[in-house]
Amino acid sequence: MKVRAVQYVVLLGVAAIFLGPLYWLISAAVKQPAEIYQWPPVWWPDDFTWGNFKLAWDAAPFDRFFVNSTVITVAGTILKVANAVLTAYAFAYLRFPFKKVLFLLILGAMMVPGHVTLLPNYLTVASLGWINTYAGLIIPGIGSAFATFLMRQHFLTLPGEVTDAAAVDGAGHLRTLWRVVLPMSRPMLVTVVVITAVEEWNNFVWPLIVTNTAEMRTLPVGLLILKDEEGLANWGTIMAGTLLVLAPMLLIFLFAQRYIVGGITQGALKG
Amino acid sequence: MTVVDLPARAHPDEVRQPPGTDERRRRTRREYGLFALLVAPNLLVIAVFAYWPIVYNAWLSLTDWNMIAARPTFVGLDNYVNTLTDPAFHKTLGVTVAFTGLIVAGSLVIGLALAVLFNQPLKGRGLVRTISFAPHILSGAAVATIWLFVFDPGYGLMRALIEPFGAEPPDWMNNSDWALPGLVIVYLWKNVGFTALIYLAGLQGLPKELDEAAAIDGAGTWTRFRAIKLPLLAPISFFLLITTVIGTFQAFDVIAVMTGGGPGDATTTLSWSIYNEGFQAFNAGRAATLSIIMFAILLVVTTIQARVMERRVHYR
Amino acid sequence: MTMRRRTFLGLAGVASLAGCGYRSPDAEYKQPAGAVPKQYAGRTRVVFWSSYGGTNGKAVDKLVAKFNESQTDVYVEAQFQGSYDDVAQKIAAGLIARQTPDLAVLSDVTWERFFLNDALEPLNGYFTDGFGPAVFHSKLFNEYVVKGQSWCVPFARSTPILYYNRDVFAKAGLPDRAPRTWSELRSWGATLAKVDANGRPMRTLALAKVDGDWQFQGNVWQFGGAYSKGLDVTIDEDGAVAAGEFQRQLIHIDGHGYMASSPMTDFAGGLVAMCQDSTGGLKSAMSKAKFKVGAGFIPSEVAAGLATGGGGIGMFRNASAERKQAAAKFLEFLATPENSAWWTTQSGYLPVVDKAREDPALKKLVADEPNYGVAIAQLVNARPQDAIRLYGRNANVAIYTGLQQIYADNADPKKVFASVARRLEAIADEVSRLYESKVL
Repeated sequence: MKVRAVQYVVLLGVAAIFLGPLYWLISAAVKQPAEIYQWPPVWWPDDFTWGNFKLAWDAAPFDRFFVNSTVITVAGTILKVANAVLTAYAFAYLRFPFKKVLFLLILGAMMVPGHVTLLPNYLTVASLGWINTYAGLIIPGIGSAFATFLMRQHFLTLPGEVTDAAAVDGAGHLRTLWRVVLPMSRPMLVTVVVITAVEEWNNFVWPLIVTNTAEMRTLPVGLLILKDEEGLANWGTIMAGTLLVLAPMLLIFLFAQRYIVGGITQGALKG
Repeated sequence: MTVVDLPARAHPDEVRQPPGTDERRRRTRREYGLFALLVAPNLLVIAVFAYWPIVYNAWLSLTDWNMIAARPTFVGLDNYVNTLTDPAFHKTLGVTVAFTGLIVAGSLVIGLALAVLFNQPLKGRGLVRTISFAPHILSGAAVATIWLFVFDPGYGLMRALIEPFGAEPPDWMNNSDWALPGLVIVYLWKNVGFTALIYLAGLQGLPKELDEAAAIDGAGTWTRFRAIKLPLLAPISFFLLITTVIGTFQAFDVIAVMTGGGPGDATTTLSWSIYNEGFQAFNAGRAATLSIIMFAILLVVTTIQARVMERRVHYR
Repeated sequence: MTMRRRTFLGLAGVASLAGCGYRSPDAEYKQPAGAVPKQYAGRTRVVFWSSYGGTNGKAVDKLVAKFNESQTDVYVEAQFQGSYDDVAQKIAAGLIARQTPDLAVLSDVTWERFFLNDALEPLNGYFTDGFGPAVFHSKLFNEYVVKGQSWCVPFARSTPILYYNRDVFAKAGLPDRAPRTWSELRSWGATLAKVDANGRPMRTLALAKVDGDWQFQGNVWQFGGAYSKGLDVTIDEDGAVAAGEFQRQLIHIDGHGYMASSPMTDFAGGLVAMCQDSTGGLKSAMSKAKFKVGAGFIPSEVAAGLATGGGGIGMFRNASAERKQAAAKFLEFLATPENSAWWTTQSGYLPVVDKAREDPALKKLVADEPNYGVAIAQLVNARPQDAIRLYGRNANVAIYTGLQQIYADNADPKKVFASVARRLEAIADEVSRLYESKVL
């Protein structure tokens, strides 16, 4: 099977293209500086060292960045998903005048590009006194349009009898939501949570603008600071810092890749 | 995304027909109240942080303001006139279009090719698919930093790979001819796994019968792919086209970390110039003007999308 | 016209309704968040935004800690904000937010916009015997004086110096000194190329990708030109074009020069024989480089000329009177000969206080390591920068973006500078009214 063989070679090539930069990153992070700045290049670090991580940690407060990123991701995800679920529920199961218009209004927010909002939102957050606070970092991002849309579409596919029965039982709406609708929507909920969490963790431009002390910075922004701090760029240190930023997402991805991949596919195909 | 197909299903309350009109009215009022309560937080945040900025930008775009002066000066449409006639702005638009076009074309073509590969019965394909998808969820700033090192003309992976073949690698990010292609490579590396994944799901969802029938009729693999699968994948291609256009249009983190819009203005896209004018040049009026222009362009793109999607839904 | 005005007022009303008010120059603004540590409880807190990271940042922190220990009334908190541009950006943003640091490091091209727009506090009223015109180096001090009033005080001032790799020079058989003229530098290129730099010919000079307009300001003078005379743009005239053409030829004809993201990184890594960079990087270059670092005057060509640069410290008008008084104490502390000299020994920046040069520690350092004396000696060549670079909003970016086109694309300097000149003229128009009323 000549075709098969070619296919395997291509497959290997593809794997190499995607792994290569990551290998270059990880190997540099554990190489001695002398091995990084050596030509011809050292492909396999002979002399393992954790020194680069220590240098990165000394140059910038990565523990603090990590805490901030975690707080923002967790709080931001919870609030945003809660907004999505509650809004979607209301639109799927409750009556309200001009519901259609309201729904269009919410969806319309998807059409507003993030960059367009930077300057005005900065001014708004400033006048609320939220510059360099968790509130300023989190609140502007918790409005949910796409996730609301996904959740609502999903709610509408649930068999009507389920919610009818629950309502007849006298269960209140919130209880119906919690006991019946949400458990039946678990896959979609996971999707929405994952998409949101990844977005929050990787968010760059807003935290860059709205924070002004190292204590409030997040990992991706911290990486930029590390690059500045290391006036004379030291690749070993910078790669170690980069690895610190990537590691949590890579780990989560390794463990939850099935859900993530499934979730994102579903999100895209449903959308 | 089909947007306006609100539920046709009868509402539970209406089916149940409550006993008295008073009772019904009270129920309705309670329902309205609950609706408002559930929707208000979301709507409030959206109003303040998505819609208000449009209004505010529209106003700022009519002013000249360096963000330090006590207040903006009204200048009418000067910003629009100056921007639209500025050769630098034309260059920016050109760069944005080239950047977006290359990434969109690259993502779709390579993504589809990868999907076809991953659809073959090969050992380890699942693993490679996962590997190729991983960069999609990684922080753009971190990915950009890795690639800065990969492209480093002194000690980068690119030099290590290219030089043994006797070729001199370019100084990617410091060369106007290579900086934009370099950024495109990084974005493709980051996003092509996502397009591949979506295409793969699409391929696997295609009905087998047509393909099998065509195979019996003697159609070759390529013909079958071109004449049957590709048209069936059109909606997915369209979805990917639009999401990639919108995403790439707003690309920022990789540009910020890798080139800062340079060298010269070789990688200055619309989104970079909004940031640059607003937060580096302190030119709030110009930044707002660019924002409004960007908003208008994306509005057109999304409208086209909505139209096409609607038609697709109707004809199906 | 009335209509226009009414619409405008209406819109302004809408904007301020939502709480997006604008700065009022005399209002009192809050400080950026933070707290006074327990051991300093009860003191006046002063927030100082700095742009020094790495080695220099640690030195700033030490100075601040020393100040906090030295007295009992004031607590200074230094907050690192990134580059000079980052600091300026954060301050502008802060002012909109009705929040202001009390002190901040402002670069040679950022302090002017805060001054022109009434954001800086005039400093004459805070001067004492130990802190004022008599204390500072007059050339450096006077750069911040407009119509008799001081708007910043010098702190981390620098000039570019020519860094060269002494080991490479020895290997190439070149004299152990910086080239005296640009022509001499160019003539050394072929010799230097014979030395190996990680498997490649050693290149002669790395030119800066970002902010290269600062070094180039001096280069333009050295070739007999200027960016502007007053606000009349002259970058498209002979001298400046000649300087651009020299660098273009060095890069694209000789192949001995190139544009680097960070010339200093490449220099310290041994990839290039020379770079012209701030004296403020001297200490960190000498500690990171694995070879003997040499420093010399920036070459001349038809003339000598040198732009000073680096940071001064400005005080913000919107801070409260109490905070301003407290902030002045810190400025006074920095202006003691001892502290000024110590900062120089830790960073390589110029001693901005005259008496600092008599400081024994600094004298010893210069004696032991002559590199530290280069910038001080070179200061005689310094001149005030051309007004367009100082006062034009983003003029520096317009210039270095043009330089990038020459460095990266082999673009014709005459054409590039002609289009840069158009841009600069637009920038000059924009600022001319304020410039004429406040500076001239």
